[in-house]
Amino acid sequence: MESNKKYWKGLEELKQTPEFVENSKNEFAEALPIEDVLNEAGLNTVTPRRDFLKALGFGVGAVTLAACQPAPVHKAIPYLIKPEEIVPGIPNYYASTFNGHSILVKTREGRPIKVEGNPNCLLSGGRLDAQAQASVLDLYDSSRLQAPVLNGAEASWAQVDSFVKGELSKIKAGGKKIRIVSSTVNSPSTKAVIADFTAQYPTAKLVQVDAVSYTGIIQANQNSFGKAVLPHYRFDNADVIVSFGADFLGTWISPVEFTRQYTKNRAAEALERKKMSRHIQFESGMSLTGTNADARISLKPSEEGIALLNLYNALGANVPSKKLGNNAKADKAIQLAAKELLNAKGKALVVCGSNDVSTQILVNAINSLLGSYGSTIDLTNPSNQFAGNDAEFVEFINEMKRGEVDAVFFLNSNPAYSAVNTKEFTDALAKVKLRVSFADRQDETAALCQVNAPANHYLESWGDSNPVSGYYTLVQPTINPVYNTRMAEESLLTWSDAAVKEYYQYVRSNWEKTVLAQSGKTWKDVLQTGSVYMGAAPAAAVSFNRDLNAVAATIISESDALAKASVELQVYQNVAIGDGRTANNPWLQELPDPVSKVTWDNYVAIAPKYAEKLGLNEFDLVEVKSANYSVTLPVLVQPGQAAGTISIAVGYGRSKAGKAGNEVGKNAYPFLTFVNGTFQTTAAVSISKVGGTYELAQTQTHHSIEGRNIIRETTLKEYLKDPHAGSGHGAGHKTYDLWNAYEKPGQNWVMAIDLNACTGCGACIVACNAENNVPVVGRDEVRRRREMHWIRIDRYYSFNEAGKSVTEEKEIAHLEDMDNVSVVHQPMLCQHCEHAPCETVCPVLATVHSSDGLNHMAYNRCVGTRYCANNCPYKVRRFNWFNYWNDSRFDNYLNNEFTQLVLNPDVTTRSRGVMEKCSMCIQRIQAGKLQAKIEKRPLKDGDIKTACQQTCPANAIIFGDGNDPNSEVSKALKSERTYYVLEELNVQPGVGYQVKVRNTAEV
Amino acid sequence: MSSHHESIIREPLITGENITYAKVTEDVLVPVENKANKAWWIGFTIAALGALMWVVAVSYTFWNGIGAWGLNKTVGWAWDITGFVWWVGIGHAGTLISAVLLLFRQNWRNSINRSAEAMTIFAVICAATYVISHMGRPWLAYWPLPLPNQFGSLWVNFNSPLVWDVFAISTYFSVSLVFWYTGLLPDIATIRDRATGLRRKIYSILSFGWNGSVKTWQRFEAVSLILAGVSTPLVLSVHTIVSFDFATSVIPGWHTTIFPPYFVAGAIFSGFAMVQTLLLIARKVMNFENYITMFHIESMNKIIIVTGSIVGVAYLTELFIAWYSGAEYEQYAFLNRVSGPYWWAYWSMMTCNVISPQLFWFKKIRTSIAASWILSIVVNIGMWFERFVIIVTSLHRDYLPSSWAMFYPTWVDVAVFVGSIGLFFTLFLLFLRFLPAIAMAEVKLLVKTSSEQSKKALIKGGKVDKEHAKFYVESLDKYDSVNQADYAKI
Repeated sequence: MESNKKYWKGLEELKQTPEFVENSKNEFAEALPIEDVLNEAGLNTVTPRRDFLKALGFGVGAVTLAACQPAPVHKAIPYLIKPEEIVPGIPNYYASTFNGHSILVKTREGRPIKVEGNPNCLLSGGRLDAQAQASVLDLYDSSRLQAPVLNGAEASWAQVDSFVKGELSKIKAGGKKIRIVSSTVNSPSTKAVIADFTAQYPTAKLVQVDAVSYTGIIQANQNSFGKAVLPHYRFDNADVIVSFGADFLGTWISPVEFTRQYTKNRAAEALERKKMSRHIQFESGMSLTGTNADARISLKPSEEGIALLNLYNALGANVPSKKLGNNAKADKAIQLAAKELLNAKGKALVVCGSNDVSTQILVNAINSLLGSYGSTIDLTNPSNQFAGNDAEFVEFINEMKRGEVDAVFFLNSNPAYSAVNTKEFTDALAKVKLRVSFADRQDETAALCQVNAPANHYLESWGDSNPVSGYYTLVQPTINPVYNTRMAEESLLTWSDAAVKEYYQYVRSNWEKTVLAQSGKTWKDVLQTGSVYMGAAPAAAVSFNRDLNAVAATIISESDALAKASVELQVYQNVAIGDGRTANNPWLQELPDPVSKVTWDNYVAIAPKYAEKLGLNEFDLVEVKSANYSVTLPVLVQPGQAAGTISIAVGYGRSKAGKAGNEVGKNAYPFLTFVNGTFQTTAAVSISKVGGTYELAQTQTHHSIEGRNIIRETTLKEYLKDPHAGSGHGAGHKTYDLWNAYEKPGQNWVMAIDLNACTGCGACIVACNAENNVPVVGRDEVRRRREMHWIRIDRYYSFNEAGKSVTEEKEIAHLEDMDNVSVVHQPMLCQHCEHAPCETVCPVLATVHSSDGLNHMAYNRCVGTRYCANNCPYKVRRFNWFNYWNDSRFDNYLNNEFTQLVLNPDVTTRSRGVMEKCSMCIQRIQAGKLQAKIEKRPLKDGDIKTACQQTCPANAIIFGDGNDPNSEVSKALKSERTYYVLEELNVQPGVGYQVKVRNTAEV
Repeated sequence: MSSHHESIIREPLITGENITYAKVTEDVLVPVENKANKAWWIGFTIAALGALMWVVAVSYTFWNGIGAWGLNKTVGWAWDITGFVWWVGIGHAGTLISAVLLLFRQNWRNSINRSAEAMTIFAVICAATYVISHMGRPWLAYWPLPLPNQFGSLWVNFNSPLVWDVFAISTYFSVSLVFWYTGLLPDIATIRDRATGLRRKIYSILSFGWNGSVKTWQRFEAVSLILAGVSTPLVLSVHTIVSFDFATSVIPGWHTTIFPPYFVAGAIFSGFAMVQTLLLIARKVMNFENYITMFHIESMNKIIIVTGSIVGVAYLTELFIAWYSGAEYEQYAFLNRVSGPYWWAYWSMMTCNVISPQLFWFKKIRTSIAASWILSIVVNIGMWFERFVIIVTSLHRDYLPSSWAMFYPTWVDVAVFVGSIGLFFTLFLLFLRFLPAIAMAEVKLLVKTSSEQSKKALIKGGKVDKEHAKFYVESLDKYDSVNQADYAKI
């Protein structure tokens, strides 16, 4: 149906007026007042009052509402009152002292974050070892006592003081003995405080005992020369060094100093003079020093004394001796060493690691015969680094047992852990009425004391040190105490009612009276320089004229007694943990042992062939049993270990060290034996397999170079003939490149590493950890091969058979004799390749090259494909598998508010899923450039030092501008010995290595 | 539709009697139009549990970090990229079947291309999950895409094979998806026409308004050809580019020019094996014996022998070149593969990939359903090992012996991989339920020319040479879906 109806809108439409017809053509029937609107209000800039008020009202309301959102509260306190000399972002350096080594402490916004050697330091020359580098982390250790403890409960200092003073006055009245047990005290001020204390309490006496003792040497010097001191050894004056078990580059007396002295005669500088010292090492376990020796001969502990007797006789003396029974190799070597030593008379040095008095007397005789005194051994200006007396400590235990001691104070000493017979010690200690510990944590001994008066960390303390005669260093605090602790000296001053109770005043006045008065320096000078050296008295030659028959007899009988054992045990300190004091330091626990590359554990080291004979495999659990102690530990197959011997490191098995250090490994101190007045580090033991295995966390599990020329070495003889001998970079060495070379204006940062200098000590690793906030991952993650170290030291073994070097796994497996092992250490870090394989493969350009020769890593851009790490021929890239700084599973490190204070604010902490690697300390490069800019001068060579370079005691690492032909690094890289690892790949690494030269003896 | 007669000596591609267009539709749509049977539910439950395990394992990884896997400083890729390459490889058969065989007018592809393409898509999805889950920071997974951004002047690194990978995989996935879906349109329309209610609405939307007009068919054919042309280079390029991840690196054992052809052959090899694994089961469970015949199975087995042999030659070439190059690191890498700590992986690979497919030279074996199925699985185990060998044994001992390390998988590694198989089967089983597993429209093309019944009619008509007929009948021996007794009468 269609409709014809039509509707109309209005009369106009019905009528179809002309107006309507006209208008209906337009879009709008009536004209819109657009023009008016635009002209009046729309485009008018005048705001009507009402609109203004509306806008204002809305604006204020909206802002108010938005402001209602609670802003996150950051607990950062700005410097409302800015402390003098602290500028946020600019570090301050203070001179202080660690273990007698003058140091510089870098503080940022008032907190110490890094420790570096003070270039003025007599001993270290500005270099430090791993333990010193790691010491800053202990400051923020959350396992430290946070307040004094009295009778098991937290107390105030006032309560502690009144309790101790009350007890002391009673004891004074009773008249029984008071003992202060301490490791070696070489601080003049501490000694003075103890003297004041003794004046107040006359029955008090200081008993010095070192967990690892040098009493043998001290007593021997008393016997030989009437001087109960540790001599100051001068390895830099020695052309021939023969060491019997003394790990002088790793742990013996003063390793940083000795390393400096030692490399002076062996590395680049010496080779330029076409000279190199010869170093022969006789030892049972493979020590760091042994790995660096030109010749290393395995020797059982029982053979050590005999070998020395033979050497003495070979040098022309005539004392009762004995043949070196089964060890023909050692016998031959002794004859050879004797010849060498005699040739170098006056420039020879024989050292021995034994703590046996007779053995050390014999060593004194040998050195005297060789004219070492006054040249390589300085007895006139002795070392005060160790002064413990084992016999005094044993007597102290007896005194306690007899009930003669009423009060005991433990200062830097933890006998409940390190005593040979801990049960005897703790039982005896229970008889003492007042037991006070100054330990910074409730360690094994402190747990047995009524009073824990936690001492400050050294970075919070005043103090001083006199490590070697004539050399005084000052300890100054760099931060207020992190916890409620007090310097031990201040506690002693308080308890002895001294006139000056403030230790700062005490140290200062003590210095003003003595050192400053003598040297003519002011207190301010010393605060700045950190040390005063009064100079050494001219070293006098001394003569040895004792009869050695009795000594020889003792040595032979001791040797015979030990030789009867089925297995001879050598107890030693390793480089990272030392005597165990630092066991709670995760940086040190994760520092791989320089030789075995084991972290987080100690173990039984045993020679490969001997292990085979005993039916033992790597990681088998064995029980090691001595007359009165036994432990179960895993086996580590250690090439170079003397057959018939095992080695176990002390410093492990702490039960009360703290979160990180508790129950790591087993305690080996109880294996020590007390013989002839000293604690001996050897013991007769038996071992038996107990079944089961325990996987040690090693950072390196393949130990040979497989014939690859990544390590290049030569002998001194070859080197003298042709300096290019090892590097292969002589005439005829050509390089080709597919790519166009880019211009490199400005700086070109490169590095040179001298394999002949590097001893493998690992100080660089810890320095890098501290500088670059490298995370600690813990034992399990190291087992999974995920340690994060930016610099590592590769250690390779090779075996010499019939004059040939055997480096391939498969051939090594067939070797009959595995004692002729030689070792090389190779620091490995990002090589900052010019044609970096990592750079081309990153999908997101997170790793790119800089114009100054660096391979950058932009953490923020990294998505974590790990392709770069796969494609790195050097495998130096490290991936953050987890959020190490914020994951409860990695509780031994940064998961608390205190420890995070150690982080270097100049270096980003990396989140999980991000790749990281060596940046050549780019923050230091930047700081150096800025400093030069501020001073309106060009950069100088040496302005910028990487953390690893700065700390290296051997000066093996040189960093600098390769574009500057006069820079140290350019000179080093111009050496004939320079080669590049994997240079055949043409990735053009920025790190050059210098060939290792061995001064091998011609047998 | 061609109405010419195909030569009698060609084997039939469809067997059975009374195959009409309607019957094809009826047969193929049985699983789509009926309630799922018990077998499907059992399979689906297992697969879904696997997929759930994948979800759990991947979530665990995302929550904790890649450290949940067994990787380390030396071996930065292991099961993740092994799984990735394995899945990408499996995907290759689909494209080969749909594109290359279409261009070469291999009509036997019509019965299997649909499932093979579906398999491709699901395999690429599984591979893509690895691309994201292996990243340290997966929430930034879009960064390798060259997206305009406000992060500054940040762009991707066009030198990086991983970026090429991103392009290769995404192109591959999108082209495969479009190709597959285009092919599905007439079949979805068929389902739509037979469905009612909500199903009809859904399939109606999915069919994109297919109306079966001549124009539609014409365009359909044109698009199919164009897409086949586009996809054909992809068959070669995708795995070539995947192989560049390794070939352009400096790691001995990766840095090899032989990788592109070797990877492509391996991919087709594993893809056909996976098609066999899936279709031999599907054929039985869904009664597709008449459409996926012994001819198909045998043809695929022949491709498996060829590609398996190519892969074998590649393995031997690698060994020869390693020796002949005189390159120290290269030599060690291969010595280490053969006799190092992972020797068992190498020899598993060799046995599964090179030796086992050679059994297909025996007609008995290549026409045995059980043997084909078992060997198809063996081949894919071998191909997994191939990738594991390439990735892990090359990385774990490269240049500096100090960093040599072993890789040990964790439960998460295993769960992610097994879970990805669960994910794959979940998707595949859903596909079987909701979409026609055989391309009905394309199979219908063959009914009049290449089916057994049409050939039988030819013979009955007496228009063929007797000798030829005899040859033809004999060739039917191997068919498990043909009743030879029928021919005795003729």
